[in-house]
Amino acid sequence: MTTAVSTSPVRWGDALRAVALPLALIVVWQLWAATLPADDRAPSPARAVAAFVQLTGTGELPIATAQSLLRVLTGFAIALVIGVVLGLLMGSSRAVRDNVEPIVESFRPIAPMALLPVAILWFGTGTPAALSIVAYAAFFPLIVNTVHGVARVDRKLVQAAMTMGVSRPAILGRVVLPAALPSILLGARLAMGVAWTAIIAAELAVGAKSGGGASGGIGQMMFVFYAYSVDLNGIVVCMAVVGIVALLIDRLFRLAEHRLMPWRH
Amino acid sequence: MSATAAPMPKLRLSGVLKYFTQPRTGQRTLAVSDVNLDIRPGEFICVVGPSGCGKSTVMNMIAGLETPSEGTIEMDGKPVRGPGADRGVMFQDYALFPWQSVQDNVGFGLRHGTPGQGMTPEQREARVREHVRLVGLEGSENKYPHQLSGGMRQRVALARLLANGPDVLLMDEPLGALDAQTRLILQVELLRIWSATGTGAQHKTAVFITHDIEEAVFLADRVVVMSRHPGRVRAVLDIDLPRPRDDAIRADPRFGHLAEEIWGLIRDEAREAIA
Repeated sequence: MTTAVSTSPVRWGDALRAVALPLALIVVWQLWAATLPADDRAPSPARAVAAFVQLTGTGELPIATAQSLLRVLTGFAIALVIGVVLGLLMGSSRAVRDNVEPIVESFRPIAPMALLPVAILWFGTGTPAALSIVAYAAFFPLIVNTVHGVARVDRKLVQAAMTMGVSRPAILGRVVLPAALPSILLGARLAMGVAWTAIIAAELAVGAKSGGGASGGIGQMMFVFYAYSVDLNGIVVCMAVVGIVALLIDRLFRLAEHRLMPWRH
Repeated sequence: MSATAAPMPKLRLSGVLKYFTQPRTGQRTLAVSDVNLDIRPGEFICVVGPSGCGKSTVMNMIAGLETPSEGTIEMDGKPVRGPGADRGVMFQDYALFPWQSVQDNVGFGLRHGTPGQGMTPEQREARVREHVRLVGLEGSENKYPHQLSGGMRQRVALARLLANGPDVLLMDEPLGALDAQTRLILQVELLRIWSATGTGAQHKTAVFITHDIEEAVFLADRVVVMSRHPGRVRAVLDIDLPRPRDDAIRADPRFGHLAEEIWGLIRDEAREAIA
């Protein structure tokens, strides 16, 4: 097996360089905050860390994070199944494509958040509404990349299977799907990123609508800090967690791409 | 079978014509015009010709991957309808599945296609092992195509082709992507493996497309020379060289004469093609 350091997803030198500037900015921020009066509400790194410790200690933060993650994964899973199956069918059948594409392309420009009022009206201010927004958001990168992946499948691979007497459904599942996997996994990575953004926004909005009730999730927690307790350090903690989780999800997917498709790296 | 009755040709092309139509302009190009050819069972046929003479199109039609615009193609007297495992194909860029190992590639048709129906998993495995050994790739069963050299990949493609037990072997410039030295070696290999196919004295019928005239003379029982504008059969030459053949035959004066004769038929058109 060839090893190429340049394609490994974990590069410590680069990681160090990546955190150097943010760390420097945080230090500057702390120094500035230290010059403020003690009862100032402005958030500072030191107080944010204290808030982080406190929120983790009570379990609020981990639970909220887990809630959001669970919703994202569920919504993503729904979008994955529908998006990939539909994408495979669209990519391989002109009839399906001609009928479905106009609908997909009409909805694609409509931002997920724009559908939030409709979702809340339909599902109420709870998990189903947030889930539907996540699934909607994740759907488009998945279907677009699946269709693209199918279009790029080497025709010769399909022909080779035909000359082996493989049936059309088997060709779709055993040749087209694996051959389109690089594009599909890319779509999945993008979809997860979009889904995570969508869940935070959806939870923020749902939290607003439900008046800060117990709908759970980080977005909702952030909203409470914003509108009720006006805890700016808490907001900073939430933002940091959102950002770090987004980064981790992205890296995990890249690792999966690397592992699942050795012939591409 | 009566000694005086001619055996049924394995493949018969009658009046085969192929147009390609541009999707937007509707403009028609005549790729292949009026091909009539009988291929005998167990024959090794090579098809040569300048670029654009339609040789790949003819093979695709035999394979069932394209349909003739006019005329018929019959195998064992029955019309060819679409691709199938009875006519196996070896492609120029191998068309190996990159996400599968060597042995998974070789066994693909046995696992998911018609050739393997009715076989137990053990029988399939045995057949895969047998063909991996036949092409000399033992030890590489678990490697992936991207880990193999061009010559090895072509051998996997050959093993896959033969493992599916087709009646007719169709090969579209299978050695075209390899360097000249590897090609010379694999030509000998190919003949060795081909002569192990089939039953008794009769090998499997093979149709082999190539640009390389010496390759065609080395491998074939008969060479079909095609012309372009429009694509058609210009001549069919008998290659009267003894079998089994090895590298020594290349020094035989008849070998050179045949190659020169074929080149004489193609040379002017080949010049035009690059003008």
